[in-house]
Amino acid sequence: MNITRIVLLSVVALLLPTAAHAQERPAHKDAYLYFVWPQDGTVIKGAFWARFGLRNMGVTHAGDDFENAGHHHLLIDVNTPLEPNEPIPQDKNHLHFGAGQTETRIELPPGKHTLQLVLGDAKHYPFKPPVVSKKITITVK
Amino acid sequence: MPGEIHHIRPGRDGSYPVDGSPRRLAAILAADISGYSRLMTMDEEGTHARVKRHRRELIDPTIIEHHGRLVKSTGDGFLAMFDSPVEAVRCAIVIQQSMVGRNAALPRDRWIQYRIGVNLGDVIVEPDDIYGDGVNIAARLEGIADPGDLFISGGVYEQVKHKLVCGYQSLGDRQVKNITDPVRVYRVLPDPAAVVNARPKPGLTFAVILSACLVASAAAATATWYFFVWQPKHLVVERSSEQTPGTTKKVVPAAAPQQAAPASKPETQPSPAPAQSQSVAIPPAQPPQAPAISEPEMVTVPAGTFAMGSNDDPSEKPIHQVKIKSFAIGKYPITVREWKRCVAAKACTYEATGQDDAPVTNVSWNDTKQFTEWLSRVTQKDYRLPTEAEWEYAARGGTQTKYWWGDQPATGMANCKGCNEPYDAAQPMKAGSLKPNPFGLYDMGGGVAQWVTDCWHKSYQAAPADGSTWLDAECPSRVIRSGSWKNDPSYVRPSNRDHYDANIRYPTHGFRVARSP
Repeated sequence: MNITRIVLLSVVALLLPTAAHAQERPAHKDAYLYFVWPQDGTVIKGAFWARFGLRNMGVTHAGDDFENAGHHHLLIDVNTPLEPNEPIPQDKNHLHFGAGQTETRIELPPGKHTLQLVLGDAKHYPFKPPVVSKKITITVK
Repeated sequence: MPGEIHHIRPGRDGSYPVDGSPRRLAAILAADISGYSRLMTMDEEGTHARVKRHRRELIDPTIIEHHGRLVKSTGDGFLAMFDSPVEAVRCAIVIQQSMVGRNAALPRDRWIQYRIGVNLGDVIVEPDDIYGDGVNIAARLEGIADPGDLFISGGVYEQVKHKLVCGYQSLGDRQVKNITDPVRVYRVLPDPAAVVNARPKPGLTFAVILSACLVASAAAATATWYFFVWQPKHLVVERSSEQTPGTTKKVVPAAAPQQAAPASKPETQPSPAPAQSQSVAIPPAQPPQAPAISEPEMVTVPAGTFAMGSNDDPSEKPIHQVKIKSFAIGKYPITVREWKRCVAAKACTYEATGQDDAPVTNVSWNDTKQFTEWLSRVTQKDYRLPTEAEWEYAARGGTQTKYWWGDQPATGMANCKGCNEPYDAAQPMKAGSLKPNPFGLYDMGGGVAQWVTDCWHKSYQAAPADGSTWLDAECPSRVIRSGSWKNDPSYVRPSNRDHYDANIRYPTHGFRVARSP
């Protein structure tokens, strides 16, 4: 009895520090992140709604640490590789949807643009392995 | 069998041509809001706006996503028809689950809860309505369901039982109003707590089956999974400062993630009029806590007029004249040390980390509101965030150049990625490490991004010209200024603006306080 308790305690003690690292959040093995709209190669006139699709994982608020759930980040014209051990940046090219939004209206200057989705955990870190959509290219007329 | 629908009883041949309206077999979903009149009495406009919002964001898209059609909607309910009972039940589950998430942050008496009934029946379809026993039974099922529950008829159950792995609780045959034959009723168990209530014994297996049910329905709603989506944003909910997230957490069953939402999200939506709600939240008879409070160091900025905005980014246009009254603003961003005093006073819920003299980070706009309310209370002064116009006026320090020191980026003037060497990406420099601007203010540009009072607007079209806060009825996103140590030099410009969800924390976001003299 005592031994089990000690073993249990030490296991808990070992797990605690890792549990504190939000960036260790495992992705669902079949997680699939994609754009419902627009699709790769779409030619768009003016502002448009981008809609985000996610299979086998759920969308929740940033800050909510539920298993198998995260929130969307939309990367516009981002060419730097994703840092797996850093929070997803917050700037004009990295839009955050921490309230659990699954769509957004965006307005981009005319020309070619790339769009990509990245799922972030409660603390905005990518999952392990990162749940990212295909990077699509659209043309704004 | 009284009632006008009775002479058009479902017939097998389907050969009742009533005004040319076609008969067809359909899954009918009837829903209404429980306690709607009570909600309307309590807050008519608020309730109406919330219901409309749920309609727009959740119900209409979910019906379409499940290949259904909204037949009609009344003030407190709606009627939809589906070709497939499976889709109808899935749709109902998604709606019920999402409503749990949407209600999570509200007090119980403000919850909007639907009762839903689904029946499979032969109905007469007209362009703007549907008629027949099939519809009436769905409405009766809805009528006997509890708030938040989904009741289905035996006919629907037979169709979905092997296709949707859910918890189904048989409620036996029920006699429903104005229908001669009893209707077999099943309750679709929507959440683990309901499972426990309904069937104490096989609770565990049930919970497992149930989660499969949720996953199945969620997978069906791939395009948009509305679990825990936005909460109503227009309703002002005040919390007393004693209500810490820790205390709510205890009552949350671990097995019910959707119920855990209020605990892990201690923040409420921002009020559209912070000044008013502030007075509500302050306990009236709290004396200032005697000597220990050292106020943030403030700098009084003179009144003046300036050209706000720039042509560098669409969000900064048009450049417009703004008249600013004299006000006081923090010389530095609020530091971890200052923040911890608020936490110690149990007025701020967020436990900040970092060195004491570093600016506090990872605070949401709502967090800053707790801080300014607490600081105002203990100092008896009206502390608040600066308005967006005040922030830019203060950051410019009387200059009209791109940066306060000139038109070119310069090393060592701001803490940003590409502004200074050595550069530490992991954390901001401690407050006041670099040169102050002409007003004597430190870290106005770079360092930590700083929340201001205004709602986000994508340009200055129709912006106020008197330096006041620019608010909207709904204000999910607030303005952040200054850029952070993780952004590039263009974000350091005093005119640069960005925005973020008001109730969400991000590791580069901090703030400084202001007050009118």
